[in-house]
Amino acid sequence: MDTAPPPAAIVPANSPPPNPQTVTITRLPPFQPDLYTRAWSSVPHPTLPLLATAHAKSVTVFSLATFTKHSALTGGHARSVRTAAWQPPRSNNSNNSKRLGLVTGSFDATAGMWSYDGDSSGSGDGDGNEVVLEREVKMDRDDEQDSDGEEEEKDWEFNLVLEGHENEVKSLAFSPGGAYLATSSRDKTVWIWEDVSAGPEDEDEWETVAVLSEHDGDVKAVAWCPSHLPNAAGKRGNYSSDVLASASYDNTVRIWREDADGEWVCVAVLEGHEGTVWGVQWEGRERKNGKFPRLMTFSADGTIKVWSLREEEEEQDGDGAQQEGNPFRSGFGGIPSTMRRSIREDWDCTAVLPKVHSRDVYSVSWSADTGLVASTGSDGVVAVYAEDESAPADAPMPSPGAEGAAKDGIVAPKSNWRVLGTVSNAHGPYEINHITWCKRFDPGAELKGKEEMLVTTGDDGVVRPWQVRIS
Amino acid sequence: MERDLDNANPTILSVSQLPSRTRKGAATRNGPDSKCHDIVYPQHHWPYGCSSSSDEGEDYREEPMDEQDIYDLISTISDPEHPHTLGQLSVVRLPDIHLSPSPTELSGPDSLVTVLVELTPTINHCSLATVIGLAVRCRLEQTLPPNYRVDVRMKVGSHAQDDQVNKQLGDKERVAAALENDTLQRMVDKMLETCA
Repeated sequence: MDTAPPPAAIVPANSPPPNPQTVTITRLPPFQPDLYTRAWSSVPHPTLPLLATAHAKSVTVFSLATFTKHSALTGGHARSVRTAAWQPPRSNNSNNSKRLGLVTGSFDATAGMWSYDGDSSGSGDGDGNEVVLEREVKMDRDDEQDSDGEEEEKDWEFNLVLEGHENEVKSLAFSPGGAYLATSSRDKTVWIWEDVSAGPEDEDEWETVAVLSEHDGDVKAVAWCPSHLPNAAGKRGNYSSDVLASASYDNTVRIWREDADGEWVCVAVLEGHEGTVWGVQWEGRERKNGKFPRLMTFSADGTIKVWSLREEEEEQDGDGAQQEGNPFRSGFGGIPSTMRRSIREDWDCTAVLPKVHSRDVYSVSWSADTGLVASTGSDGVVAVYAEDESAPADAPMPSPGAEGAAKDGIVAPKSNWRVLGTVSNAHGPYEINHITWCKRFDPGAELKGKEEMLVTTGDDGVVRPWQVRIS
Repeated sequence: MERDLDNANPTILSVSQLPSRTRKGAATRNGPDSKCHDIVYPQHHWPYGCSSSSDEGEDYREEPMDEQDIYDLISTISDPEHPHTLGQLSVVRLPDIHLSPSPTELSGPDSLVTVLVELTPTINHCSLATVIGLAVRCRLEQTLPPNYRVDVRMKVGSHAQDDQVNKQLGDKERVAAALENDTLQRMVDKMLETCA
């Protein structure tokens, strides 16, 4: 484990952690069983102690309480499942929380919607679910000894296939409220689907509301800006609060919003990476200065960049006000949509994380709890970073964008990010495809349901949890 | 796939003209055949074992891989349109294979080795460059130990769409998806049939 750079002079006011200097990253026993084939990603449920790992043509759901298999989704896809996303509970009815929903994105060009028909919850609140599921996990384990496989398929039901993409689906994500699902594909498009199901207990019904085709290459990842933060919503004139980011093989990231007429439009193109952008991570923690959440992007060029929305002090006085009586605020009047000024946001690269990886960075996770960042990739290294929050974080990097700094491989001295610790060969000689922060529910946790660990997913078919202790 | 040959009259080397260890007189110790056996059938590395064991490391310290070994693995791949191997057509050339760091300098069995193979398609607009590159990457990933990272590129100036082809071949996700495409998989399998 590497030692940290010299301590920062000023202690960040926020907690946890108070001024982290180093982390101790300790390997925990891997989830059982091994999958014995390349696994692409592992997605923790937002509240329940469950982790969904995409591998081969299926998804294995692990229990975070026991680190063992909980259930499996099989038989829905003709080719590899690349990714999965947990469906947020539908908010229009409070009796719906029994339903556990997962969506899978596959190389077979479809997305599949699944539901778990096991009685997975009683009370509906997070704590109640955890207890019930823990018990259920143990029961499932007993079942498996008798009839492996058959029991599992009964649990997960394949409800709906979303067809439309021409090639492999690479990523998918629900909007924070669950009203929208975004899917992305090698066909260079992002599709936005809207939940038009009649009620929470009715069959899934989703409708395409937009096909975004401005990228020039595969769209590797999509992610919605978290909306629970007070600073994420509003402030955007005639746009809704739902904000989507997409990362592409064309080396760019695009930001999308829905305008007043329900049209999804690209409001910004983030250029600066010199290779495929493998993904994006939104900042999930509220910012002390009340500003809009930042975006972290990571790439085949080996770098991780942070981008900030340029926010004018008073947007009413910005560029828009000078022409045509401020199209941002005027409600568009009767101007046909084709004639409207395209509204753009300015996003600046405001930091480049210290360079750790020698090859593609496949995955980054930005903790909404601690603000710590973890990264991994082709080189098999796991790295954890912290930001020195005392310094101003929104100043653009020197030179236009971050290109200058990235090209020279020099991290600008004002970068506020430090490496707290690294682990080499975290999956032995294998590549690591995914990393995520994840709440701990296992008996070894000091604060069950609160303490965070890391989970890595590799080409070796191993899904491995890591204890992260900050000091 | 095009039926017209992109290059109807490629230069073909005879097998005896191809670089090999025995003719260089370097390795009578095991002979290339038995040595390749370890590489071609690495049961203890593949399929995915549980991380690494120490005896793997022993193997490499005793007999580290070199460029000739890589050449032997891929030069016997068949060209998709000519009845010859990539070695005979000089698509694969020994001087265009680079290992870094040299496997003799590894600190442990999990240390990464980058294999860079630069391909020279028979003419500079060969439409099958991507398929050839895919077959080479596939062959190496199936046979080399998991600490090898394979980079397959078109040699600078050899191909009209270098960047595009190189980017595709370097994209793990695209390669994985391509190998689930039946047509491509069949082509690659056919090309690899002539490998020992």
